[in-house]
Amino acid sequence: MNRGLLIKALREVWPVTLLCGVGVMAFEMLLPVVLASFEDQIAAQWFQVEFLQVFVRALLGSEMGDKIDIGMLRSIAWVHPVVLAMLWAHEITLCTRLPAGEVDRGTIDVLFGTPVSRWCAYICETVVWMVAGAVVIGMGLVGAWCGNLMASPESRPSVGQILVIVVNLYCLYLAVGGMALLISSLSDRRGRAVATAFGVVLASFFLNFLTQFWTPAKHISFLGIMNYYKPLLVLRKASWPVEDMTVLLSCGLVLWVAGGVIFNRRDVCTV
Amino acid sequence: MSVIVTRNLTKRYGRRVGIDGLDLSVPPGSVFGFLGPNGSGKTTTIRLILSLLRPSEGEAVVFGLDCWRHGRRIKADIGYVPGDLRLYSWMTARSALGVFGHIRGANLVRSGLDLADRFDLDVDVRVRNMSRGMRQKLGLLLAMVHWPRLLVLDEPTSGLDPLMQQTLYDELRERAASGATVFFSSHTLSEVEALCEHVAILRNGILVADEAVETLRARAPRQVALRWKEAGVPSELKTPEGLEIVERRGAEWRGTLDGHVMDFVRWSASLPLDDVTISEPDLEHVFQQFYLDEDGKA
Repeated sequence: MNRGLLIKALREVWPVTLLCGVGVMAFEMLLPVVLASFEDQIAAQWFQVEFLQVFVRALLGSEMGDKIDIGMLRSIAWVHPVVLAMLWAHEITLCTRLPAGEVDRGTIDVLFGTPVSRWCAYICETVVWMVAGAVVIGMGLVGAWCGNLMASPESRPSVGQILVIVVNLYCLYLAVGGMALLISSLSDRRGRAVATAFGVVLASFFLNFLTQFWTPAKHISFLGIMNYYKPLLVLRKASWPVEDMTVLLSCGLVLWVAGGVIFNRRDVCTV
Repeated sequence: MSVIVTRNLTKRYGRRVGIDGLDLSVPPGSVFGFLGPNGSGKTTTIRLILSLLRPSEGEAVVFGLDCWRHGRRIKADIGYVPGDLRLYSWMTARSALGVFGHIRGANLVRSGLDLADRFDLDVDVRVRNMSRGMRQKLGLLLAMVHWPRLLVLDEPTSGLDPLMQQTLYDELRERAASGATVFFSSHTLSEVEALCEHVAILRNGILVADEAVETLRARAPRQVALRWKEAGVPSELKTPEGLEIVERRGAEWRGTLDGHVMDFVRWSASLPLDDVTISEPDLEHVFQQFYLDEDGKA
């Protein structure tokens, strides 16, 4: 690891990390409060509409059962498209900085005119991305905790349950980031890398959604990353989703190593 | 031992050849000019030396180490200014010295401030607010601040005013005198002629010349002018070997001399001339001849 590279990367990523962190924190704090205040109304009216039931089931990746409860409402906050979009935007922005972003803006010539190995630069970027992700999700956790303080004591989920969801979400974050780093390693244009990475996560999201409507999609649902992130089940079972987390971490690791190997062997050409 | 050695160095981009079988040797402590028209392979060669590109065939060796395998070690002693210099927009020269100092594991601030003073660079202006010349000065500063044993400069004077160009030439001469090697790629023939002791010329990815500037200068033609005395203009004239008269305008004749000057002087002394002018060797003419292919096209 190189201290200079870490300083440079941190200097460049803190604004976007702070922005996304505040966004996720505010959302995690406010959504459960807002939903809880309309809990009875939502259960009595909104979720009787079949389309809404399917929609929420697709988001949560699990059957809702007969009764809407506060736990379900809280888990929506962790799978809501706004939260996922902010997280993915944050990590795809970070993970396409090197090499795609540096090649695209031409600064990689100056960077690699210095005595740093490509692996060193790749690892430094990875560390910054992982720490920044932990900060954003941690801010979400703080938001959720603040939201809990505003809720009635009997409806508060345990900190342990929330922590399991957050760790599962971080595993999802690592899997998506590994994929984005691989795409970045294959690309010379940051815009193309960002678009491709977003395309992949959106396709995965919609695949998960589609399996609720279309039976053939269930056969390939294992290909989507959202298949391994089900916060409602975590809240109901109150146990660690070890299998799902293992799949996500393995995917992330394999894609990250592939990205590193490709980056280490490729030509770096800004012209 | 040569600082840079390339053996059969070849780089292909798909079907297109960047450089083909380049054999080059750069002696230590020299200012080595690297010339060639656009697309001739100069930047490709530099990128291979900097391990930004992987050779298709052959090898590039710097300080006795293979560039691709030992890039990190080699670059600890290299200062590099790319041809199309891009810097981080949020940096100032002062913060850049801090960041690059951490990257190189050395405190570069004091030496950097001295160099910034010499290049007349304001160290507290952000790159995004700098003119092109200021950015170029910052690039040069970052390449030189750690006193590397090898400077690889790709068109380093672009964007610099003539005074600053002169400052840079002086700095490079001092570095070379203190034992550093300067690998100087340029389009500007006059600056290579003024600065370099040795030049290599590339054309279409192939090395077409690799000689000392003095050797080239000895081969370079001179422009000569003869002014005849009135009524002394001959209709026929036997010229010495190497002299070619290219223009006759009354008593004023012009030509090129591609042979021994003393033979020409002795010959002209025997003629009824009012004046004789012999120019400095025209090295630019030699360079341009190297740039042209067999069909006379660049």
